[in-house]
Amino acid sequence: MVTRLRQLKGSQLTLWITLSVLLLFITSPIVYAILASFKSNMEIFSSPFSLPKSWNFDNYIGAWNLGNFKTYFLNSAFITIGGMVLVALVAAPAGYAFAQLSFKGNNLIFYLVLLGMALPVQAIIIPIFFQLKAMGMVDTLSGVTLVSAGLALPFSIFLMRNTFRDVPKELRESAAMDGAGEWRTYWTIMLPLAKPGLVALLIFTFMNIWNDFLLPLVLLISQEKFTISLGLYSFQGEQTTNFGLIFGGTVISMIPSIIVYLIFQRSFVEGMASGANK
Amino acid sequence: MSHSPPVLEMDNKKNVIAVNSKARMKIKKAITIASFLLPGLLLYAVFMLYPMIDAIRYSFFDWDGASSTMNFVGLENYVQLTKDDIFLKSLGHNLLWVVLSLALMVVPTLVLAVLISRVKKGKTFFRAGFYLPSVLSLAVVGVLWSKIYDPMMGPINVFLKTVGLDSLAKNWLGEPLFVIPALVIASTWAFYGLYLILFLAGLQSVDYSVYEAADIDGAGPISKFWHITIPSLRNTLNVVISMVIIHALKGFALIWIMTQGGPFYMSEVVSTYVYKAAFSMNKVSYATAGSVVLGIIVIAFTIGFNYYRERTE
Repeated sequence: MVTRLRQLKGSQLTLWITLSVLLLFITSPIVYAILASFKSNMEIFSSPFSLPKSWNFDNYIGAWNLGNFKTYFLNSAFITIGGMVLVALVAAPAGYAFAQLSFKGNNLIFYLVLLGMALPVQAIIIPIFFQLKAMGMVDTLSGVTLVSAGLALPFSIFLMRNTFRDVPKELRESAAMDGAGEWRTYWTIMLPLAKPGLVALLIFTFMNIWNDFLLPLVLLISQEKFTISLGLYSFQGEQTTNFGLIFGGTVISMIPSIIVYLIFQRSFVEGMASGANK
Repeated sequence: MSHSPPVLEMDNKKNVIAVNSKARMKIKKAITIASFLLPGLLLYAVFMLYPMIDAIRYSFFDWDGASSTMNFVGLENYVQLTKDDIFLKSLGHNLLWVVLSLALMVVPTLVLAVLISRVKKGKTFFRAGFYLPSVLSLAVVGVLWSKIYDPMMGPINVFLKTVGLDSLAKNWLGEPLFVIPALVIASTWAFYGLYLILFLAGLQSVDYSVYEAADIDGAGPISKFWHITIPSLRNTLNVVISMVIIHALKGFALIWIMTQGGPFYMSEVVSTYVYKAAFSMNKVSYATAGSVVLGIIVIAFTIGFNYYRERTE
């Protein structure tokens, strides 16, 4: 029994060491970028793997000022927050209707929405550009916000429908008997019960819109409208050989998504697993 | 007699009121349902359904994106695509991308998931740590990895040169033989986290009492992996494999940031080629036809896969 326990401990230790080494290897590009962001170009070249000689923030300051990262930040925040609010406001009620209200064509309309989940953005990005152009909304932040929300809808409606399906229908019926209207029931009873799904939806939407590259690339033209992803891309194009500055900009771009991830780590991972398995 | 008509009238009135209120209830209910559904459906229709129809429409015309007239050309764009060497090459690169992604992504991630699931203390730490790369935007991943692969200053080549392996130091993104594998490695790094999470979730449903029985029978770890773990992960494996394939077909951002399809179309895929054709060569309708082909491949695959899964479950 004792030897068995010792064996178990021994194998746990080996497992820990193996996984730790693997984890170091996997995260080494991130560590490399962070270290390099404190170095001068010369230092990156001569000693790429060592700690920086001094922790100076010149590259961050340089990227922030030269690369307009402040503007990019605000633009990304506008599009992402706008998209999250829009998605939550329209996808949750639609998901609720599909899950809880009975009406003709429920399944048919839902399949039409599911079709959007299979459709790759690349297949419709060209018409989207020309449609937005006709609406006079190319190169506007609100245009990108609307399109981002629209493209996020199929999955969002799907997720909210699954969430609301787990809420017992009797709750809605008893509220209706008490004379509460459908919307009142939705806001006061049903939506609070769907909170975990809603939180997962908001985190997904944040990550997708904040990290998106294709839509801003196609729909935005002037530099002062760029999002952080597009800004970083154009910054590396301007500073091709200035590695220090580019890594400064890269690390600045990493920070928001890493912070959101660390805060919401649990619901993030669980939402991911349940969303894809259903 | 003189009293009866009013009575009849009253009856009628009652009926009319009843019918009216029933119809009114129905209308009210329809309006309520519409108020829940329509905002979402409208946004979906404007930015997905309508562009989908437009994409098909464009593909039958000859249009440069600027002129006010569109000439109907029928299937001509599609016929041209089959004769377009670069388009066919791009399609081939998509397939190569699929194969390499499957090889790099599925089994290594599964093994990693099994290792993490065996950890008793600190499982959450490893899960969170290994997921970290997936949190980064593709712009960050693309810029970071193009610096890692840099022939002069990139850490890979600097390392190879310091240990005296100068001959192995390549221009990773500049040589035809290496560019796609190099890109797929970066893409695997960016995406495996999702599949890791899916495998870990799947592994939770594995019945461990079977393992103990197998232990008693003296089964080794590899035999247990093949005969117990893999079969009980069938559904998860199905989902992961299909997602890897679909992601591989849709890849755009990393390629665009790291190589723009170069050198000499050596890493061109359908989505990058279509983007160039539409927005820098002004061949809008031709590019749309190419994107419709990509869309049909992805949708056909998704639907076919779901059908297969429903049948086998």
